[in-house]
Amino acid sequence: MLMTLIRRELLDNLMTFRFAAAVFITLLLVVANTIVLLKDYEQRLTAYNKAVNESHQELREEKTYSGYAGALIIHRPPNPLSIFNLGLDKQVGNKIEVYHAFIPTMWDAEKHGADNPFLNLFTSIDIVLVFQGVLSLLALIFAYDALAGERERGTLRLVLTHPIQRGYILFAKYISAMLCLLVPLLISLLLSIILLTTSTTMSLRADDFLRIGGIVLTSLLYVSLFYLIGLCISAMTRRTSTALMLCMFVWGVLVLVYPNLILTAVDIVPQPNTQISVYNQIKQMWEEWDRENKRFLRNDAVLGPLSRNGEGWGFRLKGVEYSFAPSEDKPSTLLYFYQTSFYAGKIGAESEPQVPLVQDYYGFYNRETINTVQRTWLVRKPALEAIYIQPANLGRMLLRFSPGGLYDAATEAWAGTDLDGIQDFFSTVQRYRRAVVDYFYDKKIFESRQWFAADKGTADWDALPQFSFHRSDTGINAKRALPDMLLLLTMNVILFTVIMLIFIKSEV
Amino acid sequence: MWHIAKRELYDNLNSLRFALATVLLLALMLTNAVLYLREHPARAQAYHNAAADAVKTLKSRSTNLYSLATGGPGDLHKSPSPLRFCAEGDEAFLPTRASGANYGQRIANMPPVWRLFYPQETPNLRNIRPDFTTLDWAFIVGYVLSFVALLFTFDSISGELERGTLRLTLANPIPRHVVLVGKFLGAFISINIPFAVAVLMNLLLISTADTVQLNAEAWGRLGILYGIIILYTCLFIALGLLISAAVRESGVSLVVLLLIWVSFVIFIPNTLASIGSRTAVPIAYMEFWTQRMQLADEARAAYRNKYGDSQTTPSVHVLGEYVTTEAEEYERFNEAYLKQQIAQGKRARAITRISPTAIIQRLFESFAGTGFERHLQFIENVQRYAREYREFVVDTDRADPESLHVVGIQEGMSQKPVNPDAIPKFKDTLSLNRDFNTAAMDLLLLVLFLGVLASGAYLAFVRLEI
Repeated sequence: MLMTLIRRELLDNLMTFRFAAAVFITLLLVVANTIVLLKDYEQRLTAYNKAVNESHQELREEKTYSGYAGALIIHRPPNPLSIFNLGLDKQVGNKIEVYHAFIPTMWDAEKHGADNPFLNLFTSIDIVLVFQGVLSLLALIFAYDALAGERERGTLRLVLTHPIQRGYILFAKYISAMLCLLVPLLISLLLSIILLTTSTTMSLRADDFLRIGGIVLTSLLYVSLFYLIGLCISAMTRRTSTALMLCMFVWGVLVLVYPNLILTAVDIVPQPNTQISVYNQIKQMWEEWDRENKRFLRNDAVLGPLSRNGEGWGFRLKGVEYSFAPSEDKPSTLLYFYQTSFYAGKIGAESEPQVPLVQDYYGFYNRETINTVQRTWLVRKPALEAIYIQPANLGRMLLRFSPGGLYDAATEAWAGTDLDGIQDFFSTVQRYRRAVVDYFYDKKIFESRQWFAADKGTADWDALPQFSFHRSDTGINAKRALPDMLLLLTMNVILFTVIMLIFIKSEV
Repeated sequence: MWHIAKRELYDNLNSLRFALATVLLLALMLTNAVLYLREHPARAQAYHNAAADAVKTLKSRSTNLYSLATGGPGDLHKSPSPLRFCAEGDEAFLPTRASGANYGQRIANMPPVWRLFYPQETPNLRNIRPDFTTLDWAFIVGYVLSFVALLFTFDSISGELERGTLRLTLANPIPRHVVLVGKFLGAFISINIPFAVAVLMNLLLISTADTVQLNAEAWGRLGILYGIIILYTCLFIALGLLISAAVRESGVSLVVLLLIWVSFVIFIPNTLASIGSRTAVPIAYMEFWTQRMQLADEARAAYRNKYGDSQTTPSVHVLGEYVTTEAEEYERFNEAYLKQQIAQGKRARAITRISPTAIIQRLFESFAGTGFERHLQFIENVQRYAREYREFVVDTDRADPESLHVVGIQEGMSQKPVNPDAIPKFKDTLSLNRDFNTAAMDLLLLVLFLGVLASGAYLAFVRLEI
C-alpha cells in the first residue's frame, strides 16, 4: 500500500512543470557557477605556485641568516573544495611571513597578488549557495499544496476512505518529494564533479569525495527541512493560496532577510574596545626588553648603545656597511616590532676582535626577543580573539537560527573552508616558526657569524626545516560538521512530529 | 478604472501578504536607519581626522619648496557619502585612499620626486565574518521589494481566471486595457503603502538624529532615488501581470516568476559578471610589481651608464630631468595598471545590465555617491588635484627670481618658505551632474525594460481567452 502511495505521489510530482523547471534552473546555475569557480580556483592555484617559487628563490638570495626576515614567506594553498563552499578561503590573507620576532596569526597574513578591488564588488556564488537559495525554494514549491491542495480538491478525503493510516500518507508524500528533489541535486553535483575532474589542475583526492559525500548528506537534510516547513504550513492552512503566500514569506525571511538582517544587526552591538590598552601593554613589554638590552650594552664597553630608531646601529665596527629595514608597527593586529632586519657587508680586519662580542650580543638579543614574543603572546592571543573571533562567532551563532546558516556552517566544515580549517593552517605556520627557532637554537645560528656577516660562510637555507601543510583528516571535518548536522536533523524530526500531530488531528 | 483599482486595493489590504510585507519592510528599514546612525558618525569622524592629519603633514612640509616637491601631498582620503544607507556599494572592498609620496627609497643619492600611487588594500582583509549583504536601500528594494511585488501580482490575472471572477468582470462593458491598468494601479498602490511607510520611518529616524545632517542636495538625491524605486516597482508589477496572464495557472505562474527573479537577482549580477570580467583581465598584481621594479632599475641603469662613471657630479639640470622623468614614468605605469583594472570592472558591470536588479543597484550607487562610479570620481578628483599641486610647486618656484627652476633638486629650487595656506588642499567632491550622466544610460534601460514588459502584459491580457 505504501508503495502504491509513493508511486502515485512520485508520478504526480515528476510530471509537473515545476519539476522540469527545478531541474533546469539548478543545472543551469550549478554548471555556470562551477565553470566560473573552477577558473577562479585555477587562477588562484597558479598565483600560489608562482608565489611559492618566488619566495623560495628570494630566501636563497639572502646571504646572512638575519636576512630571513621578510624573506621566509609561507603561502596558503587554495582549497579545491572551496568550489562547493567558498567560506573564508578567499577572504583571509594567504601570504604570511615566518620570523622569530612575532607569532604569525591569520590577521598578519596578506594576499599575494591582491585581486582587482573592482571585482570584489561581485559575490562569488558557490554551489552550496545555489542549493541554499534554489533548492529550498523548490522544496517549498513542492510542499505548499501537498496537503492543502488535496484537501481543496477533495482527493484527500478519497484516499482516507481506504484503510490506510494517516502517517503512511505523510510518509509517502515525504519520500516521493525527497526523491524528486534529489534528482536536480544529484544531477547537478554529478555534472559539476565531471567538470572538476576534466580540469587538469584540479586534483581531488579520495577523501575529498568523502567530504563531498558529507556535503551531499547535509544538503539532503537542508532540503528535507525546507520541505517539512512547507508541509507544515500546508497542513495548517486550508487554502493553497494562503499556504503558498506563507511559504514564500517564510522563504524570504529565512533565506533572504534573516541572515543579512542579523549580521547587519551584530554591528549595532557595541564591541569592547580593548585594542588600545592591550597594545600599550605589549608596547611596555617591549620597552622593558629595550631596557634589558641597553643594560647589556652598557656593561659592554666595545659595543655602543642601541636604540630603536637605528641611530646607534654600528657597534663601532669599522668598515662595515649596514643596510637597514625597519618594520612597521601594526596596532590593528597588536604587533609592535622591535626587531629590524639588517645586513652587514664585509667586516674590516681592524674590527675582527670585536666580532665575538657582537656574536655574543646577538645571541642575547635574539634569545630575549623570542622570550618577549612569548610573553606578549600571552596577552596578544586572547586580545586578538576578543577583537576578531568573538564578533565573528557571535554572528555565526546567531546565523544558526536559520536553516541556511546551519547548512552553510556544516558544509563549510566539510569543505574545510570554515574558521577552524583556516586556523589549522595558521597553527601549522606557528608550529613551523617554533621549528625554525628551535633549529636556530640547535645550530647556534643566533650567535653565529653568519647571522650578520656573509664573509666567512653564508647561510645554508636548504638545511632549514621545510614547511608542509595538509588539510585536516576527514574525521576532523566530520567532527566539526556534526553539531550543525545534528541540529538540522533534530529540526527535521521535530517538524515531522509536529506535522504528524497536526495532520492526525485535522478534520478532512 | 478606479473602481477596479479600488477593488484590487481593498482585496490586497485585507490580505495576509499585505500584513507580512508591511512588517518585513518596516523591520528592514528601521534596522537600516539604526545601523546607519551608529556607523556613520564614526566613519565621518575617522575621515575628518585622517584629512586633518594629511593637511597637518602637508603644512609641516611648507618650510621649503623642495620638501613639497619631493614629499608630495601625502595621503588623499575618500570622503564617506552621507547617503551610504541607500547603497553600501561594497565600499568595504574598495580602497579608501590614494597616496602621493615618494616612499623613502633614494635614487642617485637623493630623495625622488613624489608620485601618485593607488594602494590596493581594502579594509576587508581582516574580516572573518560570514559573507553577507548589508541591509541598504538597494538590497531592500532590489531584492525584497521586487520579491514582494511578484507575490502581489503572480495571481492577479491567473487567480481570477481560476476562480472565474475575471469572466464576470469582463461581462461588464469595460475595455480590457482598463481592467489591466486598474489591476496595475491597485497592485502599485498596495505595494507602495507599506514601502512608503517604511521609508518614512527610516528617514524620520535619520533626520531627527542630531549626529547626522542631510543637506538639501542629499534630500534631492533621495527624491530621485524614490522616483527610481517607483519605476522599478512598476517594472516588476508589469512582469508579474505578464506572466500571470500568459501562464493562466497561479502555481505555474509563481514558479516561472521565481525562476526569473532568481536569475535577475542572483545569477546575472554575480555569475555573469564573473564571466564577463574574464574578457578583460589585467596582468597579475605581482607581475605588475616586478614590471615596475624592472622599469625603475632600467632607468637607474641608463642613468648610471650615462653619468655614473664620471667623477664629476652631473649638472643640476641633468639630475633634475632624471628625477622628474623617473617619477613621471612610475606614475604613468601605476595609472596604466589602474586603468586596466577599471576596464575589467567596467566590463564585468556592463554585462550585468540585462538584469533590472543590477541596473537598480548601479543607479542607487550613482545617486548615493558610493561604489564603483563614485570611486572613479574620487580617482578623477585625485588626479586633478595632483595636477594642481604640481602646478603650484612649479609656479611658486617660477615666482622666485633666485631659483634655478629645476624641480626636484635641492639646489635647483627656491629656498624661500612657502605660505602654508597657499598650498592647494585636496577636496573630494561629488557632482550631481556627473552622477546624472553616468546614470542616464541605466535610467534609459530601466524605462525601456518597463516599456517592453508593460506592452507584453497588455498584449498577453488582450489576447487572453477566458
